[in-house]
Amino acid sequence: MQTRLFGIRHHGPGSARSLLRELEKLNPDVILVEGPPDAEEILPMVAHADLQPPVALLLYVPDEPKRSAFYPFAHFSPEWQTLKFGVERGIPVRFMDLPQCYQLGWGEGRSEKSEESLKSLRSEEDVSDEEDSEDEAAALPTRRDPLEWAAEAAGFTDSERFWEHMVELRSDHDSEDGGGIFAAIQELMTAMRSEIPASERFLSEQEEQREMQREAWMRQTIRAAQKEGFERIAVVCGAWHVPALAELGPAKRDADLLKGMAKLKVVATWAPWTYDRLAMHSGYGAGIESPGYYEQLWAYPESVAAHWIGSCARLLREEDLDASPASLIETVRLAETLASMRGMSVPGLTELTDAIRAVLCFGNETHLALIARKLVIGEVMGRVPDDAPMPPLQRDLQQEAKRLRLAQEAMEKSLDLDLRKPNDLDRSRLLHRLALMGVDWGHRDEYSNAKTSTFHERWKLQWRPELVVNVIEACMWGSTVLGAATARAIELTDAAKELPALTALVERTLLADLPGAINLMMARLESLAGVTSDVAHLMRALPPLASIVRYGNVRGTNTTVVEHVVDGLVARICVGLPAACSALNDIAAAEMFRSLQSVNEAIHLLRREVHVGMWKDTLEHLARQTGVNGLVAGRCCRLLLDQQVWSSEDAGKRMSYALSRAATPLDAAAWVEGFLKGSGLMLLHSDALWQIIDSWVSGLDADSFTLLLPMVRRTFSTFPSGERRQMGERAKQAGGSVRGRAIETDVDASRASLVLPTLALLLGVAPVVAGSGT
Amino acid sequence: MPTVLRQHAEDQYAEELAALAASDSRQRPPNWRLSPWAVTTYILGGTLDNGVTISPKYVGSRRLMEVAVSTLATDRALLLLGVPGTAKTWVAEHLAAAIAGDSTLLVQGTAGTSEESVRYGWNYARLLAEGPSMQALVPSPIMRAMEHGKIGRVEELTRVPSEVQDSLITILSEKTLPIPELNSEVQATRGFNIIATANDRDRGVNELSGALKRRFNTVVLPLPATMEAEVEIVQRRSAEIGRALEIPAEPPALEEIRRIVTIFRELRNGVTADGKTRIKSPGSTLSTAEAISVVNNGIALAAHFGDGKLRATDIASGLLGAVVKDPVQDQIVWKEYLETVVKERDGWKDLYRACRELS
Repeated sequence: MQTRLFGIRHHGPGSARSLLRELEKLNPDVILVEGPPDAEEILPMVAHADLQPPVALLLYVPDEPKRSAFYPFAHFSPEWQTLKFGVERGIPVRFMDLPQCYQLGWGEGRSEKSEESLKSLRSEEDVSDEEDSEDEAAALPTRRDPLEWAAEAAGFTDSERFWEHMVELRSDHDSEDGGGIFAAIQELMTAMRSEIPASERFLSEQEEQREMQREAWMRQTIRAAQKEGFERIAVVCGAWHVPALAELGPAKRDADLLKGMAKLKVVATWAPWTYDRLAMHSGYGAGIESPGYYEQLWAYPESVAAHWIGSCARLLREEDLDASPASLIETVRLAETLASMRGMSVPGLTELTDAIRAVLCFGNETHLALIARKLVIGEVMGRVPDDAPMPPLQRDLQQEAKRLRLAQEAMEKSLDLDLRKPNDLDRSRLLHRLALMGVDWGHRDEYSNAKTSTFHERWKLQWRPELVVNVIEACMWGSTVLGAATARAIELTDAAKELPALTALVERTLLADLPGAINLMMARLESLAGVTSDVAHLMRALPPLASIVRYGNVRGTNTTVVEHVVDGLVARICVGLPAACSALNDIAAAEMFRSLQSVNEAIHLLRREVHVGMWKDTLEHLARQTGVNGLVAGRCCRLLLDQQVWSSEDAGKRMSYALSRAATPLDAAAWVEGFLKGSGLMLLHSDALWQIIDSWVSGLDADSFTLLLPMVRRTFSTFPSGERRQMGERAKQAGGSVRGRAIETDVDASRASLVLPTLALLLGVAPVVAGSGT
Repeated sequence: MPTVLRQHAEDQYAEELAALAASDSRQRPPNWRLSPWAVTTYILGGTLDNGVTISPKYVGSRRLMEVAVSTLATDRALLLLGVPGTAKTWVAEHLAAAIAGDSTLLVQGTAGTSEESVRYGWNYARLLAEGPSMQALVPSPIMRAMEHGKIGRVEELTRVPSEVQDSLITILSEKTLPIPELNSEVQATRGFNIIATANDRDRGVNELSGALKRRFNTVVLPLPATMEAEVEIVQRRSAEIGRALEIPAEPPALEEIRRIVTIFRELRNGVTADGKTRIKSPGSTLSTAEAISVVNNGIALAAHFGDGKLRATDIASGLLGAVVKDPVQDQIVWKEYLETVVKERDGWKDLYRACRELS
């Protein structure tokens, strides 16, 4: 009986190659791989032609998908190659890590603090929710990579470089004694595990305990395989664990370690993965810096430098940058010289990058960044066969999409929804719900100028493959689209700190029709509105809510809750506005001008007596208040005039008051601007407004007129020239209205009357006596 | 003690070079005095196996210097790019000294640099007397470098007119210099190479043609990344220069150097060191090299007119001169900086007063 241990590095192409060779030689009758035993049943799928790495094994607790673990694989991952090796040859392959049904349960029993401990619990392979981990990575003390000790001792700057040169770039993988590398790795790890104290290796006792349990389980799996009578057992695991598995020791101790662990129900599936997510910067523990480079290293082990530089050159040329074949040769030469200077046999990624920067990029870092994004990491996405088990949320989404006849296509296409039709309404809800979860299948086509009625909604749909990952990530919020969207909305509600953000969220939630979230949201909205002292925020919150109350009916949403909130908002705005409008500078006043306008529209949209009454009082107060910026005061006056609260005389009085000599010219100009802004056509067609301006201008004496002219001009110059011309024409006619007045003529009446009889004949009316009419 | 004002690198550091050559057992490219590894050690400093300490000539990234030395080892020409005062010339000189033992084969690029100074000229008296011959030829430093397999240097390559720049192309690609007048040529001996320096800021003046650019490997020398690195550079260099000029003053206090470097970095970056306040940047480049000269100027003032200790009054005039290059715009920037930053800072009162007295 023979048990061989192969310590590898997750995603190391060199390790993978050595491993394959050794496996060929050993021809094992069973293979044990560090991985979750819960996923063994979906292992045969490895041989499926449609399962294309990068893919990940996803394990999650069905009732609580937030508890999940990913085990990603690339083509060049030693584990992937081992799995393929075993499955294709019909050799039994077993996973031997501590099952996730135990691991995912860790941290239970302290549900309040479980978030925190879940983070530290995260072992090398699993990551529950990546978004959070990035934020908190800084706060958590990081465990030092044990390889760094070795790298430092060998004179490398970091462990990645060290491993790349010592293991991945070795050219003797295919030679006869290539297997010696595994013995060397075992030796190195044994030394490190005995030299580095536990306090350096683990962040907490808990973590240490967990690693012991995992290794105990691995040992138990090996024992079981030996007991079953397998002759040649191959064990593939992270290099770090090798020493712990070399000596099995008494089984009793391991059994004790594994006693009394809580067990959860866990489901396993394959999920497509991307190189971007495989790369370290997406916060994945055992990630690698350069998946794209490793792929080439796997594909062309003999001449990776030439292939790598070749693909860099192609990329540069695609971007219209200069990269001649002669430069490529120089780049390879420089990389090789650099490598030999640094005492290495083959150039690694560092040397290649240095050479590319100096020769191909002329020292330009931006070109290099392009290479880093497109090549070093690589834009590759894996594929999963259709019959693979799917997380419930994804299943639910596909069923919904099928029911609503929405195809997941890569081509962008437009969709025009008529919300009066139940099917279209459901489609709209589905899209809004997905958007809330961060699955941007469609976006609203705001700029299309087609039908703009409230029951139409236009979308542009495009299914990008990476959205699958978003869907899986959204699993943590729930297992159905409705459930997940509701949970996400509630989470966002809790996170919203300011009123405008929250109202925008309310709008989206109502569009997505999430009754489970809306009540909570309204409660939060009310409490936030209560403590918000910033009237501007309140004012910005009102319009979207008002449109919900007014137009919500099309969607059949219950708006009574919203109405209550709106009542409160209007009252608060009316109370706070006078104070908020005093002493504004020009920028703040312009902002207030817009808010005033939109609140005014919102209030008239609602058409509630109480609101309108309160609003009128507030406007009147503002128009009379001193110290209000002219822009705001002018607009208040105008709004009052429009709503016929003030008569033309009132408004006229107000105007001459505001524009009298005591007012500073700037204030006066602002007032006129506020009064007239954006209403050139109004001025042309509303007699009342025209009269006010006209009589004010005519009432000025010559000196005042000269003084005020520039300010009035400032406002009028904002009107389109066509309108200005018409105004001029109208003014020329001494105050009359445009419509009623004929065009001035100098027609010779007696000559004109000559045509009248013929005209009368043509029109079939009685001829007019010449000279009696015009 | 030598009487020259400034020694060549190969003379000043002759002992270090000798020690390196003695202990250097690695393979040397043809006609190199040292192996690439030893050249890197000479530039970056270190301690040899026999206990000799090599002083660092360049403080900065090891990787950059490795790329530079490797470039020369692959007989590709090296282009050092960077804003003024990032030690381009300094690095070029020391590279030439370490590799070829001769840093004097230099062409200074100016707007008036002619093709003769890059290729060859004629001794007209001889030309008239004897007719065209090799003896009547006046070789340029580059031609001499080719003949002897040494490193030729071209300073400020982007200031050289484009047509003169392009006369380097044949030299770099064919490694030969044709002399059509004599129906002859000079072929480069092994070990020949060129180091050119060029300025990032005036790239626009005479930008290198694509053909020439492709014949160079480019290494961009950055400004010191951190405050600490810059302080170290200023301190080390000003001490060296002070020694060379035999100024009878104490070495400057770290505190003063730190202040100068702080002022330079803040004005250069347009942000105060704590990252809280934005300030205007003057038009001057405010390089590390200028900071060094402010310190030296201050030391000289202190030694001859002060009490031999570098004080705020000694550096004030140097600072003013370094910052205010444009008498109108920069003056405003400097005054604003004085009033808003220097005045408020704890323990900087003396500097503020000294600067106020001057302006």
